[in-house]
Amino acid sequence: MDAEMDLLADDDGGEAERLEAAEAQADLLRDRLRLAVISIATSEGKKAGMEVSDPVVACIADLAYKTVEQLAKDVELFAQHAGRKSIKMEDVILTAHRNEHLMGLLRTFSQELKGKEPSSERKRKKSSKKDDNVMSSALRDD
Amino acid sequence: MEDEAARGGETFDPDLIRAIFKLVWSRRGERGGGGGDAGDEVIEVEPAPETSRRNRSATANASALKVSCELLRIFVTEAVQRSAFIAEAEGTTTIEPTHLERVLPQLLLDF
Repeated sequence: MDAEMDLLADDDGGEAERLEAAEAQADLLRDRLRLAVISIATSEGKKAGMEVSDPVVACIADLAYKTVEQLAKDVELFAQHAGRKSIKMEDVILTAHRNEHLMGLLRTFSQELKGKEPSSERKRKKSSKKDDNVMSSALRDD
Repeated sequence: MEDEAARGGETFDPDLIRAIFKLVWSRRGERGGGGGDAGDEVIEVEPAPETSRRNRSATANASALKVSCELLRIFVTEAVQRSAFIAEAEGTTTIEPTHLERVLPQLLLDF
């Protein structure tokens, strides 16, 4: 009986440790996000000729973290609804469907990303086709 | 949209956003997706195996992470710009919490 109790206590301890580790990781990520927010907010304040007070930056950082958490839940559900396990750009853009202007900005940004990517991919595809042709001709010669 | 040079290159790290996403998904996996109403009768304590597996295996595309970073950058930028507008109207050069408070309801509605 005592042995069983000890085992249960160990399980609880393991669970508690896991929770503590998760909390520590969350705090670390929150701090990293805060640093990024400080950088962006300060530069935006300078552009506007303003100084951003520390409580404002802290509040914006906290809001940003909550926004990311909500975004994570939303995009996962959108991908799940589409029967996918990977989150695509469209899922992220869909989270902004209530704000047409924001959706437009994200669409433009995604098109820019798509515009940057294909050139290298096309080169890769062309080179692979060449390789295939070389291989097939070599086989024919044999 | 302005390119990164025009933006001053200030944006979020996609790896950071991925890490936060993973953390949220793992939490949701442990809770079994967080479905069901308060009034529903609880039949199973453990979440359905397929649900937890699906949550664990959720992955974010590199381009999706970049768009997420951009969305977040716009959020922070808007918060500062709208607060700065209020501060300017009040004739101060420092953005105080009261300025943010005034723009917060509409900001949260927009995002």
